[in-house]
Amino acid sequence: MHDLSTIEVTDAAPAVATSPRGASRKGIGISAMARFLTLPGQIVSVLVLVVPLLVALYMSFTDWSPTRGSLFDAQFVGFENYSELLIWDTRFVYAVIRTVLISVVCLSLEFVFGLGLAVLFLREFRGKSILFSAFLTPMMILPVVVGYTFWMLFQANGPINQIIELLVGPQGAPEWFRSAPFAVTAVVVTEVWHWTPLFFLILLSGLNSVPENPVRAAVILGASPRQVFWCVILPMLKPVIIVAFVIRSMEIIKLFDEVFMLTRGGPGSATETISLYIYKLAFSDFQLAYGAAAAFIVLLGSLLLIHLLLTPVRDQLLETNR
Amino acid sequence: MHAKKLSLPLALLMAAALVIVLFPVFWIVMTAIKPPTDWNASPAIWMPPHPTFINFLTLFDPDAIRAYGVGGVSQSATKAVFGSILASVIATALSVAIGLISAIGISRYGNGSRATPLIILSGRMFPPAAIAVPFVIIFSNVGLTDSYAGLIAIYAAVTLPFSTWMLKSFVDDLPREIEEAAMIDGRSRLMAHLTVTIPLIRGGLFATTMFIFILNWSEFMFALVLSYSNISTIPVQLAKYVTATAGTLYGVQAALAVLAIVPLVIVGYLIQSHLARGMTFGAIKQ
Repeated sequence: MHDLSTIEVTDAAPAVATSPRGASRKGIGISAMARFLTLPGQIVSVLVLVVPLLVALYMSFTDWSPTRGSLFDAQFVGFENYSELLIWDTRFVYAVIRTVLISVVCLSLEFVFGLGLAVLFLREFRGKSILFSAFLTPMMILPVVVGYTFWMLFQANGPINQIIELLVGPQGAPEWFRSAPFAVTAVVVTEVWHWTPLFFLILLSGLNSVPENPVRAAVILGASPRQVFWCVILPMLKPVIIVAFVIRSMEIIKLFDEVFMLTRGGPGSATETISLYIYKLAFSDFQLAYGAAAAFIVLLGSLLLIHLLLTPVRDQLLETNR
Repeated sequence: MHAKKLSLPLALLMAAALVIVLFPVFWIVMTAIKPPTDWNASPAIWMPPHPTFINFLTLFDPDAIRAYGVGGVSQSATKAVFGSILASVIATALSVAIGLISAIGISRYGNGSRATPLIILSGRMFPPAAIAVPFVIIFSNVGLTDSYAGLIAIYAAVTLPFSTWMLKSFVDDLPREIEEAAMIDGRSRLMAHLTVTIPLIRGGLFATTMFIFILNWSEFMFALVLSYSNISTIPVQLAKYVTATAGTLYGVQAALAVLAIVPLVIVGYLIQSHLARGMTFGAIKQ
């Protein structure tokens, strides 16, 4: 509604706006136009992204904490925070390893389930569009609520344990948040439930846009359905698969909301992800400078990882994203 | 197109997947309508025999629950609901408005489109806990901590890459010739964009707005570290309930969670065909 009304208002303007310029209907030049249009976005990005990043970068080379007064009075300590983190801080190193392991397990499961569902949705059947919407539901729910919901489901007397007791008897039902392996399992289950729909969605749109001719040719040449899938369809799906993995790795590296609601990193630090550790460093221990250094290590690591992931499909992505 | 039935094993597989997908949603809705005696019954009650709306009432009138002999709800969620609506709506409008201008700029005049994706990606990858740290410092110096203005500024900026790239993909889909025709008719570039480009991508504009709203409405960490007493949002309030009562206010928390989900699910279904595009910065078009 809002945008429509602004358009009507401006619609009356052209006669006035163009007449003084007369024949030069290009009006403002192309380069001025480019600058004019991209300026607001750039100003916002610089103010709200680049400036804080630079502040954080500077901070990571100091020993600053809020109790020591202004940031400008902080002692410059060079790479001390970084070496401390990488060499001595086992809690940080474990948080990194843990986050990577959880990510690998989650993304693999999400990929397998998402691909399976997407393949099921390639055929026509009754109620397909309703089922399609239903399967997208989890990714529409906010992470905090997902975390809270699964916290309830995994209670010792919750429905998941009820089902387990029904299947294998009362001794099989664990206290999910009291033991490390079970707590990690709960986090993985939650995350996989939440984000499998995204893989499903991306892979399905990829599968739907696979060109028919190579598939037909393979079928005519006598390939079995399995061969067609593995040797013809899957290779063509590769760019889409990589996009899905890149997008999801970017998000899961920052895994915070769900774990915060589920376990707060516990028991002990069994489910403490990088984000949770940095959050605790900065906002419970007030080691802000140290936390900033940790964040930059993570940023460099993920940039490297994403660069490696993107290399094989860079040209294709630039093609679509121009 | 002929709709067929699935073969039995496939249908069973589909049914099982459907149950797994919908069960958590079923559970949170059921918990939200349980009276306090059923909240944490052992064994758990799947469908409350006496459903009630008392949990929803308690969100806005903390004393309502006392009729059931339950104390401990010290805060009403009114401020959080108000805060979530205010922050999400204004931040979404800002983000989409700036994003639309940038999208046209990048798509039609190709300014910095090679380097920008990488900068945006690195912004998205930086752990929010750490980017929140400089914000807390900067904001406390300019008096924006614990204010909606500060929260809105962050939300708008953080979602700007999404709105820009999603809108850019819609502008890219539009042939340049349409705008050029308008310019030949005597309109300036700016007018051609205002009167031709923007009306033609209004479907995409709507989808983008809804998508950005989902992102803003779901945001948790910035709100968590930048709110003390003046402001609140639904996710923060949910976390506060859980912390304050060790999670024992099951029904009231579930009611707040349901309240948080409803707008998202409605909006999400409305724009489901554009979700992939939004999530992948326009790389996947459906």
